[in-house]
Amino acid sequence: MKSTSKGILSTRRGFLKGSAAGALALGTGVNLFNINHAWSQDVTYDGAVFDGGGATLRIAEWGGFWQEIMRKELLDQFEKDFNCKIAYESSFPWFPKFVAGGPQKPPFALVNWNYGEMFKTASAGDFFTPLDEVVANLPNAKLIWPFATENGVGVTWSYSRYCYAYRTDLVDPKPANFKSFWEEKFAGKRGAYITSNGLQMDFFIAACKLFGKDQYDLEAGYEAMRKAMPMKISDFTGNMQTLLERGEVELAVQHDAEVYQQMDKGIKVAPMLWEEVKPILTQTKTVSRYIEPMEKKLAYALLNRTLETKLQSVMGSTFYQRPVNKDVVITENLASKGVTNTADSVAGYWTPDWKSYNENEEDIVETVNGIFAG
Amino acid sequence: MMREESAIPLVFKVIAGFALVVLLLPLVIVVLAGLNAGDYLTFPPQGLSLRWVKSFLSSPVFLSAYFYSFLLALCATLISTVVGTLAALYLARSSSKTSGAMRGFFMLPIVLPGVVLGLALYVFFTTTDIGLARTFPGLLICHVLVTCPFVIATVTASLVGFDISLEEAARSLGASPWTAFRKITLRIIAPGISAGCIFAFIVSFGQFETTLFLAVPNHEPLPMAMYISLRYKFEPTAAAAGIFAIALVVISTIVTSRLVSLRRVFKA
Repeated sequence: MKSTSKGILSTRRGFLKGSAAGALALGTGVNLFNINHAWSQDVTYDGAVFDGGGATLRIAEWGGFWQEIMRKELLDQFEKDFNCKIAYESSFPWFPKFVAGGPQKPPFALVNWNYGEMFKTASAGDFFTPLDEVVANLPNAKLIWPFATENGVGVTWSYSRYCYAYRTDLVDPKPANFKSFWEEKFAGKRGAYITSNGLQMDFFIAACKLFGKDQYDLEAGYEAMRKAMPMKISDFTGNMQTLLERGEVELAVQHDAEVYQQMDKGIKVAPMLWEEVKPILTQTKTVSRYIEPMEKKLAYALLNRTLETKLQSVMGSTFYQRPVNKDVVITENLASKGVTNTADSVAGYWTPDWKSYNENEEDIVETVNGIFAG
Repeated sequence: MMREESAIPLVFKVIAGFALVVLLLPLVIVVLAGLNAGDYLTFPPQGLSLRWVKSFLSSPVFLSAYFYSFLLALCATLISTVVGTLAALYLARSSSKTSGAMRGFFMLPIVLPGVVLGLALYVFFTTTDIGLARTFPGLLICHVLVTCPFVIATVTASLVGFDISLEEAARSLGASPWTAFRKITLRIIAPGISAGCIFAFIVSFGQFETTLFLAVPNHEPLPMAMYISLRYKFEPTAAAAGIFAIALVVISTIVTSRLVSLRRVFKA
């Protein structure tokens, strides 16, 4: 095992930072505890394997089959290479666990998110290492598409595209655009989700944008939801797959990874990718800010390895997820569906203003729930 | 005996029968869904197959969750049975004015919504920094809190008609306090302890809400693993896990009622 760690740098910059902070603290009465704590020290990672000394890296990521694959394809080898232990937590949600402990007691060092909850957590406190600092410690970041870090909070490492899933044997002609969802023939046979589901959130914001003045036009979104009734409301995408398979739903909000999976199982479905707006369902990772230096360094190392072509390909072949690494050759199961990994294909991805959504979430949830309840 | 049965009005029998069907039908659905030959957790099943049972038995996530839940429920049951029995004895025999308030206090964990209790404990463990947040001891404490009231309730019920003079008679004949307790009191309240024990095990094994916040990294209990599986895959593996969970609870109930029947244990 190589040990090429630079360790925790005791640099001139660190000294100056400490001196400046000390002077400021003396002048203003700021608590000195934070300044001298281990987490105040610089941590750098250069991409090499190092000896973690048996340290534990706390990560939070999805469970079940996802966890099995992550363990097999990434984590077990990482533990061996870096001489560390990974504490894997899969009991979502993460937001209350962060907020309950406060920024200085984060429950996890490296967390996988979908956008909605990540932005909510980011706005609730100083939980995450600034993105530019994270990217500076990820040598593989130079290999990824720019959109992967444009959210400003975390590093997107895998994603799928929002779309409609429709039954190819029951829907003719096929849906043409985003607004096809509201065609009369789909009354009672269209499907969306409960308000706590991320797909529904994105669908609602897209409806606000395309039916109203902009994405902040909530009234337009409410009106769109009203006009979409009657429709089937599902809890999870897995349940929606079942409804589609049975033909109880002919057109549903989905993300393309799940549609491709159903297609390969022989179910007569196809995706209609939204083109008017192109939101993506991302897997995005954040590194907690106030953690011990060795754990932060391990978090950087694991995130860096996550961006390698090997794992990105596994995500494609196993979960039909799209890569963010420019060098990844699209796996056959995705290539056969027309998925490509080029600058053109990733252009124009749209991230809703999640800050605004979260600020209005209470009103949105109450109103949309009322509409869905009839 | 025959006279008693025939005295029950027909309408009550019908209602009881209906209630039984309502209670048992979900179990039948779980079993059939677990034996589904199709790709999704649907009912009625698309043919019968053991593919999801095999999937459960070969899944490292589900199997470890199953045994982890069993271990957790076992530990919680043992602790709850001892603590709950002692608490019930105190509450039943104490003439203190505070015993009523204490009874209410002991029952609080099952009155509170599980999510609230789980979150409250998580916040407490985290803010006090006592090293219990998301650890096995922390999760066990939570399960004991939730299961203890069931033991207290059943043992208290069995103590309602308990004649204390029986224990006093044993003492007057020379038995030590421990011997009198063991040979008289424990034997009489054994059915209550046994029932509490079974309740505690079932409640702990199926506990979800509180576990949501206190689950230990790398070790998710079975209800959590089933929820996660349904959330992302909606495969019948979760229902297959349900079959094994039902089987474990039934076996545990039988074994517990046999083993914890203190009449047998202390028969000699």
